Amino acid sequence: MHARWLIPIGVGAAQAAHVAHATQYMTVEQAQRAAFPQATTFEMTRADLHASALDAPAGWSPRIWQARNGNQLLGWFFADAVIGKSEAIDYALALDANGSVIALEVLQYRESHGSEVRLAPWRKQFVGKTIRDPVALNQDIKNISGATLSCRHLTEGVQRLLKLHAHALLTAPA
Amino acid sequence: MQRAHFTIAILAIGSMSAVNAHADDAALHAEIDALRAEIAALKAEVRHIEEEHGTGNVTPASAPAPTSVSSAPTPQTATAAATTLWGYGEMNYNHPTARAADAQADLRRAVIGFSHAFDDATHVYGELEWEHAVASAEDAGETEVEQLYVEHALAPDYGVRAGLMLVPLGLLNEHHEPTQYYGVERNFVETAIIPSTWREGGVAMYGNTDFGLSWNAGIGTGPDLGKWDPASDEGRQSPLGSIHQELQLARARDPSLFAALNWSAVPGLNVGGGAFTGKIGQGADFAGKDARLLLGEVHARWQTGPFDFSALYARGTISDTQALNLTFSGEPTPVPKAFWGGYAQGAWRALAWNESNLSPFVRYEQFNTGAAYATQPLGLDTPALPTEKVWTAGINYYLNPNVVFKIDYQDFNRDDVALGYGNRFNLGLGYQF
Repeated sequence: MHARWLIPIGVGAAQAAHVAHATQYMTVEQAQRAAFPQATTFEMTRADLHASALDAPAGWSPRIWQARNGNQLLGWFFADAVIGKSEAIDYALALDANGSVIALEVLQYRESHGSEVRLAPWRKQFVGKTIRDPVALNQDIKNISGATLSCRHLTEGVQRLLKLHAHALLTAPA
Repeated sequence: MQRAHFTIAILAIGSMSAVNAHADDAALHAEIDALRAEIAALKAEVRHIEEEHGTGNVTPASAPAPTSVSSAPTPQTATAAATTLWGYGEMNYNHPTARAADAQADLRRAVIGFSHAFDDATHVYGELEWEHAVASAEDAGETEVEQLYVEHALAPDYGVRAGLMLVPLGLLNEHHEPTQYYGVERNFVETAIIPSTWREGGVAMYGNTDFGLSWNAGIGTGPDLGKWDPASDEGRQSPLGSIHQELQLARARDPSLFAALNWSAVPGLNVGGGAFTGKIGQGADFAGKDARLLLGEVHARWQTGPFDFSALYARGTISDTQALNLTFSGEPTPVPKAFWGGYAQGAWRALAWNESNLSPFVRYEQFNTGAAYATQPLGLDTPALPTEKVWTAGINYYLNPNVVFKIDYQDFNRDDVALGYGNRFNLGLGYQF
């Protein structure tokens, strides 16, 4: 019986290859290179923090990389997803070594309504934000009329990653 | 049971969708090879199960797969299932100050929406609506399909839709959930002039550009002038609202065209406009057979700090109505040649705490559903209707972004009892999820 659960997974893997390009703006690798052009390695890491501690949906578990140039820590790179209106928005957030936002990229957006969050001027609002900023819609992040849900959920996602970074990743500099 | 299993599995796939397509190619290929072997085995099992259950129409190829290639088995449940439900609703209370006996409480609408992802690029969206609580042969309520369309992304920045779609005009028609607008009732311009919630059946292309321009253009059904009832007040309340077809056995001889542009390259600012045109005689052999509708609108919205300003102007014309109106001589409601409306609105998020906020607003609107009528032979001309001017002032209290309590007062420059126009105060409750 358990095996049946795997059916859609297999089908998904087989089908996704030819539909992903229709909704994908950027890959994780492209976003990593764009945010940290001088990085030599991206080392996957884990955060020791439960989703519940950050008001995140159960099971929330973003992927995290350390961007390094040799031994030097350049910053952090997160790949995460939030729900827009009814579909997942895949996005990536890059922070410098001090936890200040370098870039927010929308990797994949699956519904048409609200897709304006991919626009660069909207995403640029996040650059330079840190854990000390509110990072809240209609406060320091302006809305896009007609894309309110996507704007709100993506903003909440960034705020969550900033908290994750501050509470679980940011260690005292050596 | 089987369905439940599928749903869980779909959730599991969705959960991996954030994982990037090309992050780790080697691992990915190894995984795909392993999955291929499993798929072959599982296909056989599916066939076996289908034979058992007699569900031959469910094949693996049509199974929903709302995901990109998953390259690592990292659990991430912050993603969507293939099928999702949403909804909104509103309950209103209107109390005319001069005619308290006309006070009314109404479950205005309850809506269930759904979407289903066939794959990352192909979705179906639908909204089912009940108005006025009870719909039956003896009751005033309605039940309706408000939207039902299939959407297919051709590229990350454009795609195509087909089905019953909302006409992309104005600020409210496509975003009509009660949490999206200020005041208990929708504004008059976007009900009397742009007949929200206005939808037509057809095909449309949509997209947006890197410089912040969203566009939407299509071809589809239009209103049917043959439905005009010169004895009713409906045409005076909303000329297009009285002859829209809502894809209900719609007469579709004459296709209509629509197009809309919205520019939002500056965060917080939206400037846009749109137009809708088509012949509305729908090929019928009657005095209005050559009539053509043209409706255009421009709008702007600026959200900055705690402030939210918007303004909209819409104007419609219907050509070749002279002969038709002549047949309506003596009736109270001929077909207008021109109708228009505009409003300006300002709102201020005065208080905000936790998820809640209190936002007072004020709106001024002018509109005229019979601004001009076709010239008739001597003595039979219809005078233009007077322009209605309405001030609305009130407060939206958001308990959270998805639940709103509303209170407002509306001041009309001119009473019109038949249309319900007269000073009144209103209470409302709205939600969306």
